[in-house]
Amino acid sequence: MSSLTETPRRRLWVEITLGLVLLVAVIPIIWTLVLAFLPNRAIVDSGWQFTFWLGNFATLFDGGAFLAQIRNSVVIVIGAVAICLAIGSMTGYALSRLNPPRWLTLPALIITGFIPLIPPMTLVPGLYILLGQLSLLGTLTGLVLVNAFINLPFAALLMSSYFSTVPNELREAALVDGASESRTFLSVMLPIVKPGLAATGIFTGIMAWNEFLMGLTLTTGGNTAPVTVGIAGLLQPYAITWGELAAAGTVAAIPIIAMAIVANRHIVAGLTSGAVKG
Amino acid sequence: MTSVPPQEALRASAAPPQKRRARKATPFTLLAVLPFLLFGLVFAVYPMSQVVRMALSDVQIRSGQFEWTFTGADNLTKVLGSGVSWEVIGNTVVFVVASVLVSIVLGLALALLVDRAVTLLPLARNVLIWPAVIAPVVVSLMWLLILSPTAGGLNKLFRTLSLPEQGWLGDSGTAMAAVVVVDVWHWTPVVFLFFYTALKAIDASTLEAARVDGANEREIVRYIVLPALRPTIMAVALVRTIMGVKVFDEMYLLTQGGPDGATTLVSQHIKSLFFDSLRLGEAASYSLVVVFATAIVLGVVLFVRSRVER
Repeated sequence: MSSLTETPRRRLWVEITLGLVLLVAVIPIIWTLVLAFLPNRAIVDSGWQFTFWLGNFATLFDGGAFLAQIRNSVVIVIGAVAICLAIGSMTGYALSRLNPPRWLTLPALIITGFIPLIPPMTLVPGLYILLGQLSLLGTLTGLVLVNAFINLPFAALLMSSYFSTVPNELREAALVDGASESRTFLSVMLPIVKPGLAATGIFTGIMAWNEFLMGLTLTTGGNTAPVTVGIAGLLQPYAITWGELAAAGTVAAIPIIAMAIVANRHIVAGLTSGAVKG
Repeated sequence: MTSVPPQEALRASAAPPQKRRARKATPFTLLAVLPFLLFGLVFAVYPMSQVVRMALSDVQIRSGQFEWTFTGADNLTKVLGSGVSWEVIGNTVVFVVASVLVSIVLGLALALLVDRAVTLLPLARNVLIWPAVIAPVVVSLMWLLILSPTAGGLNKLFRTLSLPEQGWLGDSGTAMAAVVVVDVWHWTPVVFLFFYTALKAIDASTLEAARVDGANEREIVRYIVLPALRPTIMAVALVRTIMGVKVFDEMYLLTQGGPDGATTLVSQHIKSLFFDSLRLGEAASYSLVVVFATAIVLGVVLFVRSRVER
Protein backbone atom coordinates (compact mmCIF):
# COMPACT_ATOMS: atom_id res chain seq x y z
CA MET A 1 0.00 0.00 0.00
CA SER A 2 1.38 3.37 -0.80
CA SER A 3 1.40 6.00 1.87
CA LEU A 4 0.13 9.18 0.27
CA THR A 5 -1.91 10.17 3.30
CA GLU A 6 0.77 9.29 5.83
CA THR A 7 2.43 11.99 7.82
CA PRO A 8 5.98 11.58 9.15
CA ARG A 9 4.58 11.57 12.67
CA ARG A 10 2.23 8.71 11.93
CA ARG A 11 5.04 6.79 10.28
CA LEU A 12 7.12 7.14 13.43
CA TRP A 13 4.23 5.73 15.46
CA VAL A 14 4.08 2.70 13.18
CA GLU A 15 7.79 2.02 13.62
CA ILE A 16 7.64 2.42 17.41
CA THR A 17 4.64 0.08 17.79
CA LEU A 18 6.26 -2.50 15.54
CA GLY A 19 9.48 -2.21 17.51
CA LEU A 20 7.58 -3.01 20.70
CA VAL A 21 5.88 -5.98 19.05
CA LEU A 22 9.25 -7.33 17.89
CA LEU A 23 10.53 -6.92 21.44
CA VAL A 24 7.62 -9.01 22.78
CA ALA A 25 8.39 -11.63 20.12
CA VAL A 26 12.03 -12.02 21.12
CA ILE A 27 12.00 -11.38 24.89
CA PRO A 28 11.21 -15.01 25.86
CA ILE A 29 13.98 -16.20 23.52
CA ILE A 30 16.52 -13.71 24.88
CA TRP A 31 15.51 -14.39 28.48
CA THR A 32 16.13 -18.12 27.94
CA LEU A 33 19.48 -17.34 26.40
CA VAL A 34 20.44 -15.16 29.38
CA LEU A 35 19.39 -17.75 31.96
CA ALA A 36 21.34 -20.45 30.12
CA PHE A 37 24.53 -18.66 31.16
CA LEU A 38 23.51 -18.03 34.78
CA PRO A 39 24.14 -20.25 37.81
CA ASN A 40 20.96 -21.53 39.47
CA ARG A 41 21.67 -19.44 42.57
CA ALA A 42 21.44 -16.23 40.54
CA ILE A 43 18.22 -17.35 38.83
CA VAL A 44 16.23 -18.09 41.99
CA ASP A 45 17.68 -15.04 43.78
CA SER A 46 15.06 -12.33 44.24
CA GLY A 47 17.37 -9.63 42.87
CA TRP A 48 18.90 -9.32 39.42
CA GLN A 49 22.34 -10.90 39.23
CA PHE A 50 24.11 -11.40 35.95
CA THR A 51 27.29 -13.40 35.74
CA PHE A 52 28.60 -15.34 32.77
CA TRP A 53 28.77 -19.05 33.58
CA LEU A 54 29.14 -22.08 31.33
CA GLY A 55 28.39 -24.64 34.01
CA ASN A 56 24.83 -25.31 32.81
CA PHE A 57 26.09 -26.58 29.49
CA ALA A 58 28.81 -28.59 31.20
CA THR A 59 26.34 -30.46 33.46
CA LEU A 60 23.86 -30.84 30.60
CA PHE A 61 26.34 -32.63 28.38
CA ASP A 62 28.02 -34.43 31.25
CA GLY A 63 25.51 -37.19 31.97
CA GLY A 64 25.42 -38.47 28.41
CA ALA A 65 21.62 -38.79 28.12
CA PHE A 66 21.24 -35.34 26.54
CA LEU A 67 23.89 -36.05 23.90
CA ALA A 68 22.23 -39.37 23.11
CA GLN A 69 18.87 -37.59 22.82
CA ILE A 70 20.26 -35.03 20.38
CA ARG A 71 21.68 -37.88 18.33
CA ASN A 72 18.28 -39.61 18.42
CA SER A 73 16.57 -36.44 17.20
CA VAL A 74 19.08 -36.06 14.37
CA VAL A 75 18.48 -39.66 13.29
CA ILE A 76 14.70 -39.15 13.45
CA VAL A 77 14.91 -35.95 11.38
CA ILE A 78 17.15 -37.50 8.71
CA GLY A 79 15.08 -40.66 8.49
CA ALA A 80 11.71 -38.91 8.44
CA VAL A 81 12.84 -36.32 5.88
CA ALA A 82 14.31 -39.02 3.60
CA ILE A 83 11.09 -41.07 3.68
CA CYS A 84 8.87 -38.00 3.25
CA LEU A 85 10.87 -36.74 0.27
CA ALA A 86 10.99 -40.14 -1.44
CA ILE A 87 7.39 -41.21 -0.93
CA GLY A 88 5.93 -37.69 -0.80
CA SER A 89 7.42 -36.68 -4.14
CA MET A 90 6.24 -39.88 -5.85
CA THR A 91 2.72 -39.57 -4.47
CA GLY A 92 2.62 -35.84 -5.15
CA TYR A 93 3.76 -36.44 -8.72
CA ALA A 94 1.13 -39.14 -9.22
CA LEU A 95 -1.66 -36.96 -7.83
CA SER A 96 -0.61 -33.97 -9.85
CA ARG A 97 0.43 -35.45 -13.20
CA LEU A 98 -0.26 -39.15 -13.65
CA ASN A 99 -4.05 -39.06 -13.58
CA PRO A 100 -4.43 -42.26 -11.55
CA PRO A 101 -7.74 -44.16 -11.33
CA ARG A 102 -10.17 -43.22 -8.59
CA TRP A 103 -9.82 -46.41 -6.56
CA LEU A 104 -6.18 -45.46 -6.10
CA THR A 105 -6.51 -41.73 -5.44
CA LEU A 106 -9.60 -41.73 -3.25
CA PRO A 107 -8.04 -43.55 -0.27
CA ALA A 108 -4.89 -41.47 -0.73
CA LEU A 109 -6.90 -38.25 -0.65
CA ILE A 110 -8.93 -39.35 2.38
CA ILE A 111 -5.73 -40.12 4.29
CA THR A 112 -4.08 -36.87 3.15
CA GLY A 113 -7.13 -34.92 4.16
CA PHE A 114 -8.13 -36.49 7.43
CA ILE A 115 -4.94 -37.42 9.27
CA PRO A 116 -3.71 -33.83 9.70
CA LEU A 117 -7.08 -32.80 11.11
CA ILE A 118 -7.48 -35.12 14.08
CA PRO A 119 -5.45 -34.72 17.28
CA PRO A 120 -2.45 -37.09 17.00
CA MET A 121 -3.20 -38.21 20.56
CA THR A 122 -6.29 -40.07 19.33
CA LEU A 123 -3.98 -42.32 17.28
CA VAL A 124 -1.58 -43.00 20.14
CA PRO A 125 -3.48 -45.94 21.73
CA GLY A 126 -3.59 -47.68 18.35
CA LEU A 127 0.02 -46.83 17.50
CA TYR A 128 1.10 -48.12 20.91
CA ILE A 129 -0.53 -51.50 20.15
CA LEU A 130 0.89 -51.54 16.60
CA LEU A 131 4.46 -50.75 17.61
CA GLY A 132 4.18 -53.26 20.47
CA GLN A 133 3.18 -55.98 18.00
CA LEU A 134 6.06 -55.04 15.69
CA SER A 135 8.50 -54.89 18.67
CA LEU A 136 9.28 -51.30 17.69
CA LEU A 137 8.18 -49.67 20.97
CA GLY A 138 11.00 -47.48 22.29
CA THR A 139 13.11 -47.90 19.15
CA LEU A 140 14.44 -45.22 16.84
CA THR A 141 13.07 -47.11 13.83
CA GLY A 142 9.60 -46.84 15.32
CA LEU A 143 9.91 -43.10 15.87
CA VAL A 144 11.36 -42.54 12.39
CA LEU A 145 8.40 -44.36 10.82
CA VAL A 146 5.79 -42.61 12.96
CA ASN A 147 7.31 -39.18 12.29
CA ALA A 148 7.47 -39.93 8.58
CA PHE A 149 3.83 -41.00 8.63
CA ILE A 150 2.67 -37.84 10.45
CA ASN A 151 4.39 -35.58 7.91
CA LEU A 152 3.69 -37.64 4.77
CA PRO A 153 0.27 -36.16 3.92
CA PHE A 154 1.68 -32.65 4.06
CA ALA A 155 4.79 -33.62 2.07
CA ALA A 156 2.66 -35.25 -0.65
CA LEU A 157 0.34 -32.24 -0.84
CA LEU A 158 3.19 -29.75 -0.99
CA MET A 159 5.04 -31.74 -3.65
CA SER A 160 1.84 -32.14 -5.65
CA SER A 161 1.37 -28.37 -5.71
CA TYR A 162 4.98 -27.90 -6.85
CA PHE A 163 4.62 -30.48 -9.63
CA SER A 164 1.44 -28.73 -10.75
CA THR A 165 3.44 -25.58 -11.47
CA VAL A 166 5.65 -27.43 -13.99
CA PRO A 167 4.29 -27.15 -17.56
CA ASN A 168 2.99 -30.51 -18.74
CA GLU A 169 4.77 -30.03 -22.10
CA LEU A 170 8.08 -30.85 -20.45
CA ARG A 171 6.82 -34.22 -19.34
CA GLU A 172 5.27 -34.95 -22.71
CA ALA A 173 8.45 -33.95 -24.54
CA ALA A 174 10.49 -36.35 -22.42
CA LEU A 175 8.01 -39.17 -23.04
CA VAL A 176 7.95 -38.47 -26.78
CA ASP A 177 11.75 -38.56 -26.79
CA GLY A 178 11.47 -42.13 -25.56
CA ALA A 179 12.17 -41.77 -21.85
CA SER A 180 10.32 -44.21 -19.63
CA GLU A 181 7.90 -42.82 -17.02
CA SER A 182 10.30 -43.50 -14.17
CA ARG A 183 13.18 -41.96 -16.14
CA THR A 184 11.04 -38.85 -16.87
CA PHE A 185 10.22 -38.55 -13.19
CA LEU A 186 13.77 -39.01 -11.93
CA SER A 187 15.80 -37.10 -14.53
CA VAL A 188 13.39 -34.44 -15.79
CA MET A 189 10.66 -33.64 -13.28
CA LEU A 190 12.48 -34.13 -9.97
CA PRO A 191 15.38 -31.75 -10.80
CA ILE A 192 12.89 -29.03 -11.81
CA VAL A 193 11.11 -29.09 -8.46
CA LYS A 194 14.31 -28.89 -6.40
CA PRO A 195 13.03 -25.76 -4.58
CA GLY A 196 9.92 -27.73 -3.69
CA LEU A 197 12.04 -30.58 -2.36
CA ALA A 198 14.01 -28.09 -0.28
CA ALA A 199 10.87 -26.50 1.16
CA THR A 200 9.32 -29.90 1.92
CA GLY A 201 12.55 -31.19 3.46
CA ILE A 202 13.09 -28.13 5.65
CA PHE A 203 9.52 -28.12 6.77
CA THR A 204 9.25 -31.82 7.63
CA GLY A 205 12.69 -31.57 9.26
CA ILE A 206 11.51 -28.82 11.61
CA MET A 207 8.32 -30.73 12.38
CA ALA A 208 10.25 -33.94 13.19
CA TRP A 209 12.83 -32.09 15.33
CA ASN A 210 10.01 -30.36 17.25
CA GLU A 211 7.86 -33.48 17.69
CA PHE A 212 7.15 -34.38 21.30
CA LEU A 213 4.00 -36.42 21.78
CA MET A 214 5.10 -39.58 19.97
CA GLY A 215 8.55 -39.43 21.53
CA LEU A 216 6.94 -39.16 24.95
CA THR A 217 4.39 -41.93 24.61
CA LEU A 218 6.22 -44.44 22.40
CA THR A 219 9.60 -44.50 24.18
CA THR A 220 10.64 -45.16 27.73
CA GLY A 221 12.58 -41.88 27.98
CA GLY A 222 16.27 -41.58 28.85
CA ASN A 223 18.63 -42.66 26.10
CA THR A 224 15.79 -43.84 23.86
CA ALA A 225 13.99 -40.46 23.71
CA PRO A 226 14.32 -37.51 21.35
CA VAL A 227 15.66 -34.19 22.66
CA THR A 228 12.22 -32.62 23.23
CA VAL A 229 11.33 -35.43 25.63
CA GLY A 230 14.71 -35.00 27.30
CA ILE A 231 13.94 -31.35 27.93
CA ALA A 232 10.58 -32.23 29.47
CA GLY A 233 12.41 -34.73 31.66
CA LEU A 234 14.51 -31.95 33.17
CA LEU A 235 11.31 -30.59 34.73
CA GLN A 236 11.31 -32.60 37.94
CA PRO A 237 8.65 -31.41 40.35
CA TYR A 238 10.93 -30.83 43.34
CA ALA A 239 14.35 -29.80 42.17
CA ILE A 240 14.19 -27.93 38.89
CA THR A 241 17.60 -26.90 37.68
CA TRP A 242 16.46 -23.79 35.86
CA GLY A 243 19.81 -22.94 34.32
CA GLU A 244 20.20 -26.41 32.86
CA LEU A 245 16.65 -26.20 31.51
CA ALA A 246 17.42 -22.88 29.83
CA ALA A 247 20.62 -24.31 28.38
CA ALA A 248 18.73 -27.31 26.98
CA GLY A 249 16.13 -25.00 25.46
CA THR A 250 18.87 -22.92 23.90
CA VAL A 251 20.54 -25.97 22.37
CA ALA A 252 17.20 -27.18 20.96
CA ALA A 253 16.10 -23.78 19.62
CA ILE A 254 19.31 -22.34 18.19
CA PRO A 255 19.74 -24.70 15.21
CA ILE A 256 16.10 -24.17 14.24
CA ILE A 257 16.31 -20.38 14.47
CA ALA A 258 19.58 -20.41 12.53
CA MET A 259 17.91 -22.49 9.84
CA ALA A 260 14.92 -20.12 9.85
CA ILE A 261 17.24 -17.21 9.17
CA VAL A 262 18.94 -19.03 6.29
CA ALA A 263 15.85 -20.60 4.75
CA ASN A 264 13.23 -18.01 5.68
CA ARG A 265 11.56 -17.97 2.27
CA HIS A 266 11.29 -21.73 2.01
CA ILE A 267 9.77 -21.96 5.49
CA VAL A 268 7.25 -19.25 4.75
CA ALA A 269 6.26 -21.09 1.57
CA GLY A 270 5.83 -24.26 3.58
CA LEU A 271 3.84 -22.63 6.35
CA THR A 272 1.46 -20.65 4.20
CA SER A 273 0.73 -23.40 1.71
CA GLY A 274 0.14 -25.89 4.49
CA ALA A 275 -3.39 -24.80 5.25
CA VAL A 276 -4.29 -28.36 6.19
CA LYS A 277 -1.39 -28.97 8.52
CA GLY A 278 -1.61 -27.79 12.09
CA MET B 1 5.14 -17.29 -2.82
CA THR B 2 5.50 -20.21 -5.20
CA SER B 3 2.92 -22.43 -3.61
CA VAL B 4 -0.64 -23.24 -4.50
CA PRO B 5 -3.41 -23.46 -1.90
CA PRO B 6 -4.14 -27.10 -1.09
CA GLN B 7 -7.76 -26.93 -2.21
CA GLU B 8 -6.56 -25.99 -5.67
CA ALA B 9 -3.90 -28.67 -5.58
CA LEU B 10 -6.56 -31.20 -4.75
CA ARG B 11 -8.87 -29.94 -7.46
CA ALA B 12 -6.05 -30.00 -9.99
CA SER B 13 -5.18 -33.55 -9.07
CA ALA B 14 -8.77 -34.77 -9.05
CA ALA B 15 -9.69 -33.43 -12.48
CA PRO B 16 -6.85 -32.44 -14.75
CA PRO B 17 -8.24 -30.80 -17.87
CA GLN B 18 -6.36 -32.92 -20.40
CA LYS B 19 -7.13 -36.57 -21.23
CA ARG B 20 -9.89 -37.23 -18.78
CA ARG B 21 -10.72 -40.75 -19.78
CA ALA B 22 -7.22 -42.21 -19.45
CA ARG B 23 -7.95 -43.54 -15.98
CA LYS B 24 -5.90 -46.70 -16.05
CA ALA B 25 -3.09 -47.30 -13.62
CA THR B 26 0.23 -47.79 -15.36
CA PRO B 27 2.76 -49.83 -13.36
CA PHE B 28 4.60 -46.60 -12.57
CA THR B 29 1.44 -44.94 -11.19
CA LEU B 30 0.88 -47.94 -8.94
CA LEU B 31 4.49 -47.86 -7.82
CA ALA B 32 4.21 -44.14 -7.03
CA VAL B 33 1.07 -44.29 -4.89
CA LEU B 34 1.38 -47.68 -3.19
CA PRO B 35 4.07 -46.79 -0.61
CA PHE B 36 1.93 -43.88 0.56
CA LEU B 37 -1.16 -46.09 0.81
CA LEU B 38 0.84 -48.73 2.64
CA PHE B 39 1.97 -46.16 5.21
CA GLY B 40 -1.61 -44.99 5.65
CA LEU B 41 -2.87 -48.55 6.01
CA VAL B 42 -0.26 -49.54 8.59
CA PHE B 43 -0.09 -46.32 10.61
CA ALA B 44 -3.65 -44.96 10.37
CA VAL B 45 -6.20 -47.59 9.36
CA TYR B 46 -4.81 -50.46 11.43
CA PRO B 47 -4.23 -48.36 14.60
CA MET B 48 -7.72 -46.91 14.24
CA SER B 49 -9.18 -50.42 14.02
CA GLN B 50 -7.29 -51.25 17.21
CA VAL B 51 -8.71 -48.13 18.88
CA VAL B 52 -12.22 -49.26 17.96
CA ARG B 53 -11.51 -52.75 19.27
CA MET B 54 -10.03 -51.31 22.45
CA ALA B 55 -13.00 -49.01 22.94
CA LEU B 56 -15.28 -52.05 22.92
CA SER B 57 -13.16 -54.07 25.35
CA ASP B 58 -11.85 -54.14 28.86
CA VAL B 59 -8.10 -54.17 28.35
CA GLN B 60 -5.69 -55.09 31.12
CA ILE B 61 -1.93 -55.31 30.97
CA ARG B 62 -0.70 -58.45 32.73
CA SER B 63 3.03 -59.11 32.74
CA GLY B 64 3.56 -56.99 29.66
CA GLN B 65 0.76 -58.68 27.68
CA PHE B 66 -2.56 -57.13 26.70
CA GLU B 67 -5.63 -59.05 27.85
CA TRP B 68 -8.78 -58.21 25.94
CA THR B 69 -12.33 -58.86 27.21
CA PHE B 70 -15.20 -57.76 25.02
CA THR B 71 -17.51 -55.42 26.93
CA GLY B 72 -19.56 -53.71 24.23
CA ALA B 73 -20.44 -50.08 24.78
CA ASP B 74 -19.50 -50.03 28.48
CA ASN B 75 -16.50 -47.74 28.01
CA LEU B 76 -18.43 -45.37 25.83
CA THR B 77 -21.26 -44.96 28.38
CA LYS B 78 -18.64 -44.45 31.11
CA VAL B 79 -16.91 -41.73 29.08
CA LEU B 80 -20.10 -39.99 27.96
CA GLY B 81 -21.63 -40.21 31.44
CA SER B 82 -18.64 -38.74 33.22
CA GLY B 83 -18.64 -35.11 34.26
CA VAL B 84 -14.86 -34.95 33.88
CA SER B 85 -15.10 -35.86 30.20
CA TRP B 86 -17.45 -32.98 29.54
CA GLU B 87 -15.41 -30.57 31.63
CA VAL B 88 -12.40 -31.43 29.44
CA ILE B 89 -14.40 -30.69 26.29
CA GLY B 90 -15.55 -27.42 27.87
CA ASN B 91 -11.94 -26.47 28.65
CA THR B 92 -10.95 -27.28 25.09
CA VAL B 93 -13.72 -25.09 23.68
CA VAL B 94 -12.71 -22.19 25.95
CA PHE B 95 -9.04 -22.55 25.02
CA VAL B 96 -9.69 -22.86 21.29
CA VAL B 97 -12.14 -19.96 21.07
CA ALA B 98 -9.93 -17.65 23.13
CA SER B 99 -6.63 -18.44 21.43
CA VAL B 100 -8.12 -18.42 17.90
CA LEU B 101 -9.92 -15.09 18.39
CA VAL B 102 -6.99 -13.34 20.05
CA SER B 103 -4.41 -14.58 17.55
CA ILE B 104 -6.59 -13.59 14.58
CA VAL B 105 -7.19 -10.07 15.91
CA LEU B 106 -3.51 -9.59 16.78
CA GLY B 107 -2.31 -11.20 13.55
CA LEU B 108 -4.55 -8.93 11.50
CA ALA B 109 -3.40 -5.84 13.37
CA LEU B 110 0.22 -6.95 12.99
CA ALA B 111 -0.20 -7.47 9.24
CA LEU B 112 -1.64 -3.97 8.82
CA LEU B 113 1.15 -2.57 10.97
CA VAL B 114 3.98 -4.33 9.11
CA ASP B 115 2.40 -3.30 5.82
CA ARG B 116 2.82 0.34 6.83
CA ALA B 117 6.33 0.01 8.25
CA VAL B 118 9.41 1.01 6.29
CA THR B 119 12.51 0.95 8.46
CA LEU B 120 11.67 -2.11 10.53
CA LEU B 121 10.03 -4.04 7.67
CA PRO B 122 12.99 -6.29 6.76
CA LEU B 123 13.73 -7.02 10.42
CA ALA B 124 10.07 -7.78 11.16
CA ARG B 125 9.72 -10.18 8.25
CA ASN B 126 12.75 -12.08 9.50
CA VAL B 127 12.25 -12.06 13.26
CA LEU B 128 8.50 -12.70 13.35
CA ILE B 129 8.99 -16.23 12.02
CA TRP B 130 11.16 -17.24 15.00
CA PRO B 131 8.46 -18.08 17.57
CA ALA B 132 6.63 -20.23 15.01
CA VAL B 133 9.59 -22.50 14.21
CA ILE B 134 10.61 -23.21 17.81
CA ALA B 135 9.34 -26.51 19.24
CA PRO B 136 6.19 -26.18 21.38
CA VAL B 137 8.16 -27.91 24.12
CA VAL B 138 10.86 -25.25 24.01
CA VAL B 139 8.27 -22.47 23.79
CA SER B 140 6.60 -23.84 26.92
CA LEU B 141 9.94 -24.01 28.67
CA MET B 142 10.75 -20.42 27.72
CA TRP B 143 7.46 -19.27 29.19
CA LEU B 144 7.99 -21.41 32.28
CA LEU B 145 11.17 -19.41 32.84
CA ILE B 146 8.98 -16.30 32.75
CA LEU B 147 5.80 -17.48 34.51
CA SER B 148 7.15 -19.78 37.22
CA PRO B 149 6.08 -18.39 40.61
CA THR B 150 9.46 -18.92 42.25
CA ALA B 151 12.14 -18.47 39.61
CA GLY B 152 10.17 -16.79 36.85
CA GLY B 153 11.17 -13.45 35.40
CA LEU B 154 7.69 -11.93 35.62
CA ASN B 155 7.35 -12.31 39.38
CA LYS B 156 10.93 -11.08 39.75
CA LEU B 157 9.90 -7.97 37.86
CA PHE B 158 6.79 -7.62 40.03
CA ARG B 159 8.95 -7.93 43.15
CA THR B 160 11.27 -5.19 41.92
CA LEU B 161 8.29 -2.95 41.18
CA SER B 162 6.71 -3.85 44.58
CA LEU B 163 3.63 -5.31 42.89
CA PRO B 164 1.89 -8.36 44.41
CA GLU B 165 3.36 -11.59 42.99
CA GLN B 166 0.99 -13.97 41.20
CA GLY B 167 0.71 -17.74 40.93
CA TRP B 168 0.18 -17.45 37.15
CA LEU B 169 0.15 -21.13 36.18
CA GLY B 170 -0.83 -22.44 39.59
CA ASP B 171 -3.97 -20.32 39.98
CA SER B 172 -7.13 -21.63 38.37
CA GLY B 173 -8.09 -18.04 37.60
CA THR B 174 -4.94 -17.22 35.62
CA ALA B 175 -3.75 -20.65 34.40
CA MET B 176 -6.04 -20.82 31.37
CA ALA B 177 -5.28 -17.21 30.47
CA ALA B 178 -1.56 -17.94 30.78
CA VAL B 179 -1.63 -20.93 28.43
CA VAL B 180 -3.70 -18.91 25.96
CA VAL B 181 -1.05 -16.17 26.07
CA VAL B 182 1.68 -18.73 25.38
CA ASP B 183 -0.28 -20.22 22.48
CA VAL B 184 -0.99 -16.77 21.04
CA TRP B 185 2.69 -15.80 21.31
CA HIS B 186 3.64 -19.01 19.53
CA TRP B 187 1.19 -18.90 16.62
CA THR B 188 0.29 -15.28 15.94
CA PRO B 189 3.36 -15.00 13.66
CA VAL B 190 1.90 -17.68 11.37
CA VAL B 191 -1.49 -15.97 11.37
CA PHE B 192 0.31 -12.72 10.55
CA LEU B 193 2.03 -14.39 7.58
CA PHE B 194 -1.29 -15.55 6.12
CA PHE B 195 -2.82 -12.08 6.45
CA TYR B 196 0.27 -10.28 5.24
CA THR B 197 0.41 -12.44 2.08
CA ALA B 198 -3.30 -11.84 1.46
CA LEU B 199 -2.87 -8.12 2.07
CA LYS B 200 -0.10 -7.97 -0.52
CA ALA B 201 -2.45 -9.58 -3.04
CA ILE B 202 -5.05 -6.79 -2.80
CA ASP B 203 -5.09 -4.76 -5.98
CA ALA B 204 -3.18 -1.54 -5.27
CA SER B 205 -5.24 0.50 -7.76
CA THR B 206 -8.44 -0.15 -5.77
CA LEU B 207 -6.81 1.32 -2.70
CA GLU B 208 -5.43 4.21 -4.70
CA ALA B 209 -8.87 4.98 -6.13
CA ALA B 210 -10.42 4.94 -2.65
CA ARG B 211 -7.75 7.36 -1.43
CA VAL B 212 -8.30 9.70 -4.35
CA ASP B 213 -12.02 9.62 -3.54
CA GLY B 214 -11.15 10.87 -0.06
CA ALA B 215 -11.44 7.72 2.07
CA ASN B 216 -9.37 7.79 5.24
CA GLU B 217 -7.30 4.87 6.56
CA ARG B 218 -10.04 3.57 8.83
CA GLU B 219 -12.62 3.55 6.02
CA ILE B 220 -10.19 1.78 3.72
CA VAL B 221 -9.58 -0.96 6.27
CA ARG B 222 -13.26 -1.26 7.10
CA TYR B 223 -14.71 -1.26 3.57
CA ILE B 224 -11.93 -2.59 1.35
CA VAL B 225 -9.26 -4.50 3.26
CA LEU B 226 -11.45 -6.49 5.67
CA PRO B 227 -13.95 -7.66 3.02
CA ALA B 228 -11.06 -8.62 0.76
CA LEU B 229 -9.46 -10.62 3.58
CA ARG B 230 -12.67 -12.42 4.56
CA PRO B 231 -11.82 -15.74 2.86
CA THR B 232 -8.36 -15.67 4.48
CA ILE B 233 -9.87 -14.93 7.88
CA MET B 234 -12.20 -17.92 7.50
CA ALA B 235 -9.36 -20.20 6.39
CA VAL B 236 -7.08 -19.06 9.21
CA ALA B 237 -9.86 -19.54 11.76
CA LEU B 238 -10.34 -23.10 10.52
CA VAL B 239 -6.63 -23.93 10.59
CA ARG B 240 -6.11 -22.36 14.00
CA THR B 241 -9.15 -24.20 15.40
CA ILE B 242 -7.71 -27.51 14.22
CA MET B 243 -4.35 -26.61 15.75
CA GLY B 244 -6.05 -25.62 19.00
CA VAL B 245 -7.90 -28.93 19.32
CA LYS B 246 -4.65 -30.82 18.68
CA VAL B 247 -2.65 -28.96 21.33
CA PHE B 248 -0.87 -31.09 23.93
CA ASP B 249 2.75 -30.16 24.58
CA GLU B 250 2.06 -26.77 26.17
CA MET B 251 -0.35 -28.08 28.81
CA TYR B 252 1.80 -31.09 29.52
CA LEU B 253 4.76 -28.87 30.38
CA LEU B 254 3.22 -25.67 31.70
CA THR B 255 0.41 -26.91 33.95
CA GLN B 256 0.17 -30.73 33.66
CA GLY B 257 -3.52 -30.02 33.06
CA GLY B 258 -3.92 -28.38 36.47
CA PRO B 259 -4.66 -26.62 38.70
CA ASP B 260 -7.50 -29.00 39.53
CA GLY B 261 -8.03 -29.95 35.90
CA ALA B 262 -8.64 -26.34 34.86
CA THR B 263 -6.36 -26.65 31.82
CA THR B 264 -6.89 -30.35 30.98
CA LEU B 265 -7.71 -30.46 27.26
CA VAL B 266 -8.70 -33.51 25.21
CA SER B 267 -5.19 -34.76 24.34
CA GLN B 268 -3.96 -34.38 27.90
CA HIS B 269 -7.06 -36.24 29.13
CA ILE B 270 -6.57 -39.18 26.74
CA LYS B 271 -2.90 -39.36 27.73
CA SER B 272 -3.62 -39.52 31.44
CA LEU B 273 -6.47 -42.04 30.98
CA PHE B 274 -4.24 -44.31 28.89
CA PHE B 275 -0.81 -44.01 30.46
CA ASP B 276 -1.41 -42.81 34.03
CA SER B 277 -4.70 -44.45 35.05
CA LEU B 278 -4.27 -47.39 32.61
CA ARG B 279 -7.97 -47.16 31.73
CA LEU B 280 -7.13 -48.17 28.17
CA GLY B 281 -10.68 -48.86 27.01
CA GLU B 282 -11.94 -45.49 28.21
CA ALA B 283 -8.99 -43.72 26.62
CA ALA B 284 -9.79 -45.41 23.30
CA SER B 285 -13.48 -44.51 23.61
CA TYR B 286 -12.60 -40.91 24.29
CA SER B 287 -10.31 -40.91 21.24
CA LEU B 288 -13.18 -42.16 19.11
CA VAL B 289 -15.52 -39.48 20.47
CA VAL B 290 -12.94 -36.79 19.60
CA VAL B 291 -12.37 -38.18 16.09
CA PHE B 292 -16.10 -38.34 15.38
CA ALA B 293 -16.67 -34.87 16.79
CA THR B 294 -13.84 -33.53 14.59
CA ALA B 295 -15.29 -35.21 11.52
CA ILE B 296 -18.81 -33.91 12.19
CA VAL B 297 -17.71 -30.33 12.91
CA LEU B 298 -15.53 -30.27 9.79
CA GLY B 299 -18.30 -31.75 7.69
CA VAL B 300 -20.69 -29.03 8.87
CA VAL B 301 -18.10 -26.28 8.31
CA LEU B 302 -17.29 -27.44 4.79
CA PHE B 303 -21.00 -27.85 3.97
CA VAL B 304 -21.85 -24.35 5.21
CA ARG B 305 -18.87 -22.89 3.37
CA SER B 306 -19.84 -24.51 0.08
CA ARG B 307 -23.41 -23.21 0.55
CA VAL B 308 -22.26 -19.69 1.35
CA GLU B 309 -19.79 -19.45 -1.47
CA ARG B 310 -21.91 -20.86 -4.26
